[in-house]
Amino acid sequence: MRKFFRTVFLVDLLKGLRVTFRYQHPKHICTEQYPAQRPRIGERYRGAPRLNTNPETGETLCIACNLCALACPENLIVVGSERNEQTRRKELTTFTYDTSRCMFCGLCEDACPVDALELTQDFEIATYSREGQIWDRQMLEEGPKPTPYEC
Amino acid sequence: MAEATFLDSTELVLNMGPQHPSPHGVRRVILKLDGEKVLGADCVIGYLHRGVEKIGENRTYQQFTPYVDRMDYVAAVSNGLGYCLAVEKLLNIEAPPRAQAVRVILTELNRIASHLVWLGTHALDIGALTPVFYCFREREEVLTVFENYCGARLTTHAFRIGGLQYELYDGFEEQVKAFCDMFLAKVDEYEELLTGNRIWIGRLKGVGILTAEECKAYGVTGPLLRAAGVKWDIRKAQPYSGYDQYEFDIPTGENGDTFDRYKVRLEEMRQSVRIIRQAVDRIPEGPIMGKVPKVIKPPVGEAYVSIEAPKGELGYFVVSDGSPQPYRVRVRPPSFINLQAVDKMVRGGLVADVVAVIGTIDIVLGEVDR
Amino acid sequence: MASVPWEDELTKRLQDQFGDRILEFSTYLGQNFLVARPEAVIPIIEHLKLEAGFDYLVDVTAVDYPQRPERFDLVYILYSFSRNERVRIKTRIAEGATPPSATGVHLTANWLEREVYDMFGIRFAGHPNMQRILLPEEWQGHPLRKDYPITRQDDRWVQENLGIESAQ
Repeated sequence: MRKFFRTVFLVDLLKGLRVTFRYQHPKHICTEQYPAQRPRIGERYRGAPRLNTNPETGETLCIACNLCALACPENLIVVGSERNEQTRRKELTTFTYDTSRCMFCGLCEDACPVDALELTQDFEIATYSREGQIWDRQMLEEGPKPTPYEC
Repeated sequence: MAEATFLDSTELVLNMGPQHPSPHGVRRVILKLDGEKVLGADCVIGYLHRGVEKIGENRTYQQFTPYVDRMDYVAAVSNGLGYCLAVEKLLNIEAPPRAQAVRVILTELNRIASHLVWLGTHALDIGALTPVFYCFREREEVLTVFENYCGARLTTHAFRIGGLQYELYDGFEEQVKAFCDMFLAKVDEYEELLTGNRIWIGRLKGVGILTAEECKAYGVTGPLLRAAGVKWDIRKAQPYSGYDQYEFDIPTGENGDTFDRYKVRLEEMRQSVRIIRQAVDRIPEGPIMGKVPKVIKPPVGEAYVSIEAPKGELGYFVVSDGSPQPYRVRVRPPSFINLQAVDKMVRGGLVADVVAVIGTIDIVLGEVDR
Repeated sequence: MASVPWEDELTKRLQDQFGDRILEFSTYLGQNFLVARPEAVIPIIEHLKLEAGFDYLVDVTAVDYPQRPERFDLVYILYSFSRNERVRIKTRIAEGATPPSATGVHLTANWLEREVYDMFGIRFAGHPNMQRILLPEEWQGHPLRKDYPITRQDDRWVQENLGIESAQ
């Protein structure tokens, strides 16, 4: 008998609709208005790679130890170095990073002994060409420069 | 013999997919139909095959960890946990207690996220358009925890062999607790939306029945097996990562139909919240990384380790030849094996139920094809 | 850590039943496995299912050792719900051998054996549908063999079916 009334008066349907209408109020909106509004990014977010430099002298922190290249599962990092005859130390010459194959696992960052290579919070790294995905040392030190959205 | 006429033609072969919205991926089902009745279903898979097992043989043990996330990308944390446990077993070490507790919390959060994706998309397949928005809203909270913890939302790469890479961030406990408090009420809301809904019941009750014996014969595990009434969960049967310290129940169904699987998964989400609450309250202090050499070279031998992933038994069979690269990594994917039973489940049913059955198995094609 | 012999009432029963067709009972890292002759594997699985309650075939897979005369290790993993135990059954087979299919005992073996055929080229005798499962039917080569390099692809198939020079 109760079941009959529930069926006739669509009790379950109304219960469901109550949930739907409870969330109609604008304060329940949870959509992010992305280009106009910057999204919240986690502090540890693994995004665009960056090669850190010493902020005072502008010299690179990288010691060209090649550990990141060895740690990378996709072998997409190539470190070029040459030995400075005066100081007898290896110095970084070139550094290429192929972001098109990168899966942002963070193993290179973990391997770096001097915190030179870092995956930053920049996430806007789309480019118009495949070649643009291969970043050289200059690009890695300066970071990507996405065109800002204007509304 | 008289010439066959239009009325005599009883069997129709219908091709469903690969580009069909219901399987949430690319998979083709060849259906044999007699009118509305399904006579048989043949799955054609492999469209997403990337050779994960071959990649594993050509990477070092640590380098392979990010790849396992990309199999079941909805439950990447579970995949990572299974692989790390398998290699730890080969090395005969265990992660420190603090790492184990954090692993449990993240894995259970991932189970909730995975079930939410399933619930939303399954309801969408059946025709209930609302739940998907609510499910993804709550899933967002889980993904935010992942992002804050390890820096990625989907393919997390959260665990390392021997423990964890990242220490907990400030406010982790509060954020997880707040999620738990908020989430139970939301599960009740999903129930309000769906459980009593006459269309939902009509589409799910008695559809795609798989009895306990059939489940065992087909090797079907996870919520499908539990919905058939078998109280079996690897977290209880062969506890790993300290699951024996937590109190939780294994929900079971009675009929083994699609509706029971829905009920079981909803209850599993509540039990996950229960585990998370216990685990967050007592995260032990201590190191997060065990004693693992820089280059992992397990002794010659092999080990099979399985965990209870959201979709069923996820096993890793790792063979070591003493070198830094695994000699063979075999993944026992739950989706792949559960998908095999689709033919059994749709046979004799209506063609409209095929979508419900495929939805209820909760397959992720990245895991089926690897 | 080496593997240690595995002895309990189950191994005694199997020993009585199968005699010298089982070559080894061992435990490694707390996981039991036995090595059997290829022709004895299906009877053992059937015996374990009917007599000892190992009613769930977890996995069928293979491992390739190209330098050995019997090239492949075929691995079956069984689980018993009533005993809460896992057993691995291993056997060695040569290239070109056709081990009997386990589909008659466990229905799960159907797709798992197809995958082993796809990846290793081991044909199972008596299998209802011995076809490739993940790769296209016309593909040449079996990728998980050790002599198949990771970058190899079937160029002819790619050119014919995808209309591109190379997929890499």
